[in-house]
Amino acid sequence: MLDLLQNSIDAFNNSHPLIRFCIYLSLLFIATIALLLVYLKNLRDRLRIKGRIEATYQKKYESDLIEYLYAGDDKNINAEQQKIVDYLKQCGENRLKRKLIIATLLKLKNEISGETADAIQNLYYKTGFINSATSKLKSKKWDSVARAIRELTLFEIKEAHDEIIQLINHPKKEVRNEIQKYLVQLFRFDGLEFLNVLENPLSELDQIQLLEILNKFNNMEVPDMNNWLRSTNNSVISFTLKLAKIYNQYGAKDEIIALFNHPNTEIRIEAINVVNHLGIFEAVEILKEDYFTRTLEEQIAFFKMMEEMSMPDDVSFIREHIQHDNFHIRISVMKIMNLITVDSDNTFKVNTVTPDFTIDKDLTIAS
Amino acid sequence: MIQNLPELLINFFDYIFFGFAMAAISSYIILAIISAFETVNYMKKNSFVNYTEILSSSISPSISIIAPAYNESLNIVENVRSLLSNHYVNYDVIIINDGSKDDSLEKLIAAYDLVKVDYLINNQIETKPLRKGVFKSTNPAFEKLIVVDKENGGKADALNLGLNISTNKYVACIDVDCLLLEDSLQKMIKPFLEATDHKVIAAGGVIRIANSCIIKDGKLLEINFPKNNIVRGQILEYLRAFLLGRMAWSKLNGLLVISGAFGLFDKKIALEVGGYDTKTVGEDMEIIVRMRRHMEEKKEKYRVAYIPDPLCWTEAPDNYKIFISQRNRWTRGTIETLKKHRKIGFNPKYNSLGTLSYPYWFLFERLAPIVEILGLFYFSILIITNNVVWSYAILFLILAYLFTVIFSIITIITEELTYHQYTKKGMGLQLIKTAFTEPILNHPFILYAALKGNFDYYFNKSIKWGEMTRKGMSNI
Repeated sequence: MLDLLQNSIDAFNNSHPLIRFCIYLSLLFIATIALLLVYLKNLRDRLRIKGRIEATYQKKYESDLIEYLYAGDDKNINAEQQKIVDYLKQCGENRLKRKLIIATLLKLKNEISGETADAIQNLYYKTGFINSATSKLKSKKWDSVARAIRELTLFEIKEAHDEIIQLINHPKKEVRNEIQKYLVQLFRFDGLEFLNVLENPLSELDQIQLLEILNKFNNMEVPDMNNWLRSTNNSVISFTLKLAKIYNQYGAKDEIIALFNHPNTEIRIEAINVVNHLGIFEAVEILKEDYFTRTLEEQIAFFKMMEEMSMPDDVSFIREHIQHDNFHIRISVMKIMNLITVDSDNTFKVNTVTPDFTIDKDLTIAS
Repeated sequence: MIQNLPELLINFFDYIFFGFAMAAISSYIILAIISAFETVNYMKKNSFVNYTEILSSSISPSISIIAPAYNESLNIVENVRSLLSNHYVNYDVIIINDGSKDDSLEKLIAAYDLVKVDYLINNQIETKPLRKGVFKSTNPAFEKLIVVDKENGGKADALNLGLNISTNKYVACIDVDCLLLEDSLQKMIKPFLEATDHKVIAAGGVIRIANSCIIKDGKLLEINFPKNNIVRGQILEYLRAFLLGRMAWSKLNGLLVISGAFGLFDKKIALEVGGYDTKTVGEDMEIIVRMRRHMEEKKEKYRVAYIPDPLCWTEAPDNYKIFISQRNRWTRGTIETLKKHRKIGFNPKYNSLGTLSYPYWFLFERLAPIVEILGLFYFSILIITNNVVWSYAILFLILAYLFTVIFSIITIITEELTYHQYTKKGMGLQLIKTAFTEPILNHPFILYAALKGNFDYYFNKSIKWGEMTRKGMSNI
């Protein structure tokens, strides 16, 4: 056995340097595999117990918090309550534990109301969690900043407004999005003030999120939108058009009609759709005047609008497009003609024969 | 000089094969590193997204799920139920019965109270004609469902009819037997909604293998690790491709393929390029390349997005015959697409598409199996001519094997750190075992299939798709 080992060592020493390099590399690979396997085993074990640890702590914090809430008055806290506050403060130094405490506080806050909910809010101040959140607003790590803003939003900390609004043009869109949600969640329509100073585009996702937040609140006074409709930021205009549509802002009609000549095609189309929704009849003649200079998408939007807003006077204009190359325009024309001429001229559908689509009986449009 | 010729040739080939192997290994390492960074970034960013806001909003864009079906009678009813149970608000499901010879249509009619309706179809792409027509449900619970029965024309033709029928802005093209998770659409639509300075033309998701998993009523209840070695190997192979490959290509905006099992497209662009190519067996890759080429030629900023979340689960081949047939088709699809779009290759006019993605696919997907076979052939000649230095050969073989194992274990670790799907006790060990056995049990068949794919492409043009016998995920 020893001879074999000695022979192997001799063979190794006498071998070509490339062979020696390959052997070293193989040994390195084997060692790497061994280390990775140990790490993987450890990782899987940790992940398996992580859930159990989290559940245990969550239960513990929940019972501590309930004990705090029922141990006495929230304004003049007793020794027992102070002990819990100190304990939570101490736990809050650990990232995972802080996360669990915050989650528990929010869970309780959402489940209860009145003075008890206020007590939880006050506890957020007493434990100093608010300070750690506001201090993170100055962090260089964008995710820490975004996480802090989210926390301040969930605890409805309006005092952080001045500090947060300064970050509105933050280079990271995730941070900007958290700020926008903070402003709208806490200040409703007043929070949309950021639209006046926003330099970066507001993505469609951002817009959906903001509209969903606003949708939760009722009986709000809708602010004047004219300034935003004149914004140099196209995404602000696009978002305002959605607001105008959802909140039926008929008063903004002049500014919306003015957008028919906006350099951006998408905005022109959105403006036509809003006009359609609001039923602004004076827009029909304006669009008819320069119909032929508009893009195909605008023409389709126009005819979609005419499905709702056409009058018998429009028949000759509409009839001109009965053989239009575009499928959507042809469909709109047929729908409009069917609506307008159904009493006087019911032969329309029978007379229409175009080569690349078929109509058997009634139209059924996929929803 | 002539006397030294054999030695010169041997040296020349040694350098060629060694150089190719080093280039391939380097590219895998670079892609893995980029993937790691991008995955961390994605997970961090994604922790701030509230998907419920996307799914519940009435202004979220509309999506059509297009699912072609051919002789899927065994599971069609359950599969459609799964598609209808998606949590997204603004979507419809278009099932294209592509000339099935079985009773798929009758089963759908009975299960979903379907009746024939008159329907206007915008024939923007030429397809095979309708057979029995278009059906919708009389039951309001299934109002999102549209079933179309047409003459058989293949998957691409069926998808094209779906594109013609859809009235929505986006289309999700999927295999009908795939199981989509309930939040899959809102996750897939997110990159389209986030884009502000560019257009997202398509998005692809991760495909996971559902063999042995427990599925009930179209929902994934339990993830299990199959016993079949071929399937196990494919699980690891898919994890490697999706977690360590495509994530990097997404970062480099160089994705050339979105799995045909589940992809979301901007319908307008898909129609502008003429829809799916019915003449190729690799239509999923071909349409992406064509859409990208179209955007490059229009000089518009665009991206093909990739979502690393496991959103779609599918049944993988569990025997070598079907496995080889599937890989054979993939090979032919790659050859066809690269050949059709050869103008792009190494052409700086097409930016990263021409100078990075195409060359990579050409060298390491198209040529890799050929180089490997040539390598084996060359090795055989060296053995016959007694020119093998066995110590070198064995050591290089060991190194290649160990590198593959390391790469697979890193993939498993990445999976644990990100999505941690294989949670059951013992599954970790099974995955590790697979990392050691897969290069021996699966790779030779992949190589054979690729070689056969090349042969069939050049000498056996009549072969098209091949059959995939389904056992049905719900019955696994």
